Amino acid sequence: MAVATATAPPARRVGLGGITGSPLALKVVVGLLVLALAVPLLHNGYYENLFRGILMFSAMALGWNLIGGYTGYVSFGNVVFFGLGAYTSATLASHGIENVWVAVPLAIVVAAMFAVALGVPILRLKGHYFGIATLGIALAVQEIVANVDALGGGTGVTLHQAAWYSQYYYAMWLVCAGSLLVTWFIARSKFGYALVAIRENEDAAAVLGVNATYFKVAAWAISGMMAAAAGAVFAFSTGFIDPPSAFSVDNNVFPIVMVLLGGIGTVAGPVVGAILLTAINETLWSHFPQIHTLFFGAVIVIVVLFLPRGLLYLQNARGGLRGMIDSLSAYRV
Amino acid sequence: MSFLEIRGVGMRFGGLQALDDVSFRVERGSVVGLIGPNGSGKTTLMNVISGVYKPTAGSVTFADKTIANVPTHQVCRLGIARTFQIVKPFASLTVRENVAVGAMYGRDGAKRTTAQAFDHASELLEIVSLARVADRPASDLTIPDRKRLEVAKALALDPDVLLLDEVMAGLNASEVDEALALLRSLSERGVTLIVVEHLMKAIMAVSTTIVVLAEGKKIAEGAPLEVTQSRAVIEAYLGARYVKRQEAARAVADARAAEGAR
Ligand SMILES: Nc1ncnc2c1ncn2[C@@H]1O[C@H](COP(=O)(O)OP(=O)(O)O)[C@@H](O)[C@H]1O
Ligand SMILES: [Mg+2]
Repeated sequence: MAVATATAPPARRVGLGGITGSPLALKVVVGLLVLALAVPLLHNGYYENLFRGILMFSAMALGWNLIGGYTGYVSFGNVVFFGLGAYTSATLASHGIENVWVAVPLAIVVAAMFAVALGVPILRLKGHYFGIATLGIALAVQEIVANVDALGGGTGVTLHQAAWYSQYYYAMWLVCAGSLLVTWFIARSKFGYALVAIRENEDAAAVLGVNATYFKVAAWAISGMMAAAAGAVFAFSTGFIDPPSAFSVDNNVFPIVMVLLGGIGTVAGPVVGAILLTAINETLWSHFPQIHTLFFGAVIVIVVLFLPRGLLYLQNARGGLRGMIDSLSAYRV
Repeated sequence: MSFLEIRGVGMRFGGLQALDDVSFRVERGSVVGLIGPNGSGKTTLMNVISGVYKPTAGSVTFADKTIANVPTHQVCRLGIARTFQIVKPFASLTVRENVAVGAMYGRDGAKRTTAQAFDHASELLEIVSLARVADRPASDLTIPDRKRLEVAKALALDPDVLLLDEVMAGLNASEVDEALALLRSLSERGVTLIVVEHLMKAIMAVSTTIVVLAEGKKIAEGAPLEVTQSRAVIEAYLGARYVKRQEAARAVADARAAEGAR
């Protein structure tokens, strides 16, 4: 049925501010990312490690944001992809292929296959059940890896690092920039609108023609690819991995907190959150080495209680103070 | 074979038989008014026809397909669209974005770019009088506007059959007239309508056929005037005691009249 009208369509707004989030924040983040290219030129090991960490967590947070933020399926086990990525590197290394540029694409393929194989059954679960299933999977995979001797078992794997150490920094930069670019494309595309429609109301989305299963699995797979790519680089840059480091609780929880802190369901939010949380973490470390974990826990609680949709939400066109009050009343129990 | 056929449809929720052996045919281009007291199964039937529920008995066939065998997201591509009585807006998206999702993934969605989907959404918002709030988040809308949004989202699917579940609830008299004019113009364009509405005036004004449900069963079907005067329908709506009282009163009046004539 074609509906024709005499009136001219009003100015349209494709994806602006809507599901991409604040355009200003995005510009700032892209600017910072370009500046971050220069970090290895400082020849300062501390800064290089610090910023590689931010890039790593940004990629993981961007990944989590795709399934947890845009699609509304809160995963408590995205670290499984990070771990799979790290072990892809480790396995390659133990077969003599000690090359991060080979490991990253392979890790992405491994993550995609894993996500599709498990996503079809577990993404039929709604809400909390999905979250619990992802946590279960992460714990199970860690346990399996710890018991497979070919993967180094519980003792771990050592990877020999190349002489040009900064290549791992640039690899992580590319993983982060790629994740940001992919998120940006998704947020402006039909694909992104399908994800948000699923988050807002899955039944209504289905009636409008959105194949929810397909989009959820795709979102989870892309989410996993980002984490796996970060994990693959991490294994080389750190030089040694074992199950507790590859599947660590920190790597599972930090990306979630970063997304909440920066702005859930926005393009730039996860990166903003990664920068801020890392800065907070570093400050607390240097000032309160003994009770740093306690302070850090308090920061997490404060974020979840008072900024449930993140800092960017405050200056979003639709946010402001009223937006924050709305989000408080909507999200707080 | 008829256009849309509901054949022996039953729907059971645990111990509750929400629909029981409901059958009727919907002709192409007709406007079917679906009425019945609250809880009689109207919304459940809409859910079965649109593929949201699979019936526990019987079937719905449309375009040579059994709806229960078609995934929910493909029903709209066959040409069936519906609104939700309990509105389901995508709260954080703007009104225009809400409608654009239908224009992207509905029947002709694959052919549209994102920008074309937004343009189409804008046209539809004019039609349902929502252009004034096109860029507001859907969560800001009043209830009548949310009902309008449901209609615009369904229209974005370019349907042949449109199921409207109480979209006029909460509208004032002039808004009801506007809504009726919209339904007539859709009908003139060849869209087949199945309309659930409590407002009898509205139902009588647009329907070519009326189907009446009571406690999950079809108790009447026919032309509007004929159906609304049927005893079974009046009983279902107003209760058997009301009908008996009316009949007794009429008998007394008739007797008095007869006496007076003597
Ligand atoms: N998903 C469901 N689960 C259980 N019972 C339901 C469900 N949907 C509807 N019902 C029941 O089916 C009956 C018919 O409801 P409904 O179709 O909404 O009636 P109507 O739209 O005519 O008011 C009611 O008793 C209602 O409680
Ligand atoms: Mg109803």
